[in-house]
Amino acid sequence: MNKGNRYIVKAENVFKVYNPGQENEVKVLNNIDFKIREGGFLSIIGPSGSGKTTLLDIIGCLLKPSSGRVFIDGMDIGKLDDSELARIRGKKIGFIFQQYNLIHSLTALENVVLALRIMGKSKQEARRRAKSLLEMMGLGKRLDHTPSQLSGGEQQRVAIARALANDPKIILGDEPTGNIDTKTGEKILELLKHLNREKGYTIILVTHDPRIGKYSDRIIHLIDGEIVKDGKA
Amino acid sequence: MLDIAFRNIKRQKTRTILTVLGIMIGIAAVVSLGSISQGMNIMMEKSFELVAGRIMVFQGEGAAGIAGMMTAMSTSEITEEQIETMISVSGVKDVVPMSMYMDTSVNMMQLGWVAIGIDPVRLNYFKGENILMYDGRELEEGDSDVAIIGKDVADKYNLEVGDSFTVKEADFDIVGVIERSDIQDIDMGVIVPIEDLKVLLDKDTYQMAFVIPEDVKDTEIIAEHIEDADEDLYTMTGKEIARQASEILDQISIVTIGLGAIAAIVGGLGVMNTMIMAVLERRREIGVMKAIGATNGMVLQQILIESALISLIGGMIGIALGMLGAFGITMYAGGMLKAVVTPVLAVGALAFALCLGLVGGIYPAWKAAKLDPVEALRYE
Ligand SMILES: Nc1ncnc2c1ncn2[C@@H]1O[C@H](COP(=O)(O)OP(=O)(O)O)[C@@H](O)[C@H]1O
Ligand SMILES: [Mg+2]
Repeated sequence: MNKGNRYIVKAENVFKVYNPGQENEVKVLNNIDFKIREGGFLSIIGPSGSGKTTLLDIIGCLLKPSSGRVFIDGMDIGKLDDSELARIRGKKIGFIFQQYNLIHSLTALENVVLALRIMGKSKQEARRRAKSLLEMMGLGKRLDHTPSQLSGGEQQRVAIARALANDPKIILGDEPTGNIDTKTGEKILELLKHLNREKGYTIILVTHDPRIGKYSDRIIHLIDGEIVKDGKA
Repeated sequence: MLDIAFRNIKRQKTRTILTVLGIMIGIAAVVSLGSISQGMNIMMEKSFELVAGRIMVFQGEGAAGIAGMMTAMSTSEITEEQIETMISVSGVKDVVPMSMYMDTSVNMMQLGWVAIGIDPVRLNYFKGENILMYDGRELEEGDSDVAIIGKDVADKYNLEVGDSFTVKEADFDIVGVIERSDIQDIDMGVIVPIEDLKVLLDKDTYQMAFVIPEDVKDTEIIAEHIEDADEDLYTMTGKEIARQASEILDQISIVTIGLGAIAAIVGGLGVMNTMIMAVLERRREIGVMKAIGATNGMVLQQILIESALISLIGGMIGIALGMLGAFGITMYAGGMLKAVVTPVLAVGALAFALCLGLVGGIYPAWKAAKLDPVEALRYE
């Protein structure tokens, strides 16, 4: 179900410098230029410190580039203010993290409900949707468990349900299988592939996982903040 | 957001309880101390009814205001001649000489009654016509060795009409009990014929006199004329007393409420401290909330709701405790003072608690709102 005709992310001559002009200045991204088609499954690989997380954070509207332009679903994020960026994060983007980053005082259900409530859904609607998402993730019997009562794989599936809560365009994952054993990791990747193929979500993963070739339709190889290879898996 | 706020403050139970305690103690102090000045206010206002439209006259050194009046009561000696002088001042309708006797063997706080000597015919100049008898009769012309007592005295000593009451070795038959007036001098009064009290105190003089003007409008002028007519007399009018009393009361209010406020502000600092720690602990969580779409404003609001919640809980318990405190003060004062928690005081204290929560919460809330989500999520 690859839509394939629209670019959901466009990066034009993106540079990112941390602490510019200071002693501890770090040039992290160097003239990054790429386009991602809607409905694609992209992986970003590269050695530690090469700028993968930084790039993902920029695509996720958590960071602005130092120069160059980034378009998310047609919008130039450099032109948006804090609350507009927050809105894009909530509406168009779903994050999943290596450490899951669930809120520990809340149950699985409440973690997903929170994401919906933040975007203004009513209490009942939020509960209904959160429940059906978690059931879809195979967590129907874990709704009232807190993160500490769930395994790593289960926590990551709660996180995926949360990422899907507001029906985003893009799912961003920063090493989503990094903390999970091989077999469970494979299941998570399969789940993401399924979401990509069947539901049309654009997926962008940063990963070390060697199996990624099997799932991606494109891999960007980053070294020292530059794209050294960009092509089909 | 409110349910999450509730859950968040429950996460660090001990810390939340301690913070609530801080606010609670402060607000309890504000309320109970405030109730003292509120009670004094009400009591004073009631007492002014006694002097409204009339002139109190004393003999001796004047000037020193209400405090002076208290000492004057014990040293003042007004002669029959001076009473005549007052009557002769133009515009004076009547003069009511009075004497008082207190049991000085007990301390002020335990004071249960005051004997007041008055001409039976002129009783209503003191008591006022609106205040009726609870039981029995008023004093009448020619009465001797009889008394009418205030409701507090009757209740405190379990007395009724037909019993007798001993004032300085002399027994008086109780012929009447006055209904509750909320005017202290009446409710605590043992009112006897003036001639009886003069004999008992072995004095030809009176301690004070009420001068009743023909026309209330002339009160101040007549007071001046009395002082002019006899240098040894000095006068106080309701207006003057009210002015001085409100000055004193204002000062008492400032001191008492100020003390309470300091305690409460310390509680507010506790809220700030707690919320700063909470924000530090929840950095990652706040980062996550922002990553999934929360605006700075939402984060700010979330922290403010939490601190407001803590301070409102503390405030409400504090008000309840302050009411208990006011009750305790009233009991301890034994009729001297009725500490009152007025609705204004209670609502004001709650609003103050809320302010403390919001002011204490604003800095941590602002810190949380400004938190960089990338930093917060990276932070291990
Ligand atoms: N906030 C920051 N301030 C300064 N340097 C940073 C900051 N964040 C990341 N870096 C540096 O930028 C480089 C790239 O980091 P990152 O994007 O996390 O790489 P990767 O995810 O590929 O390991 C690293 O050298 C890192 O130390
Ligand atoms: Mg990284």
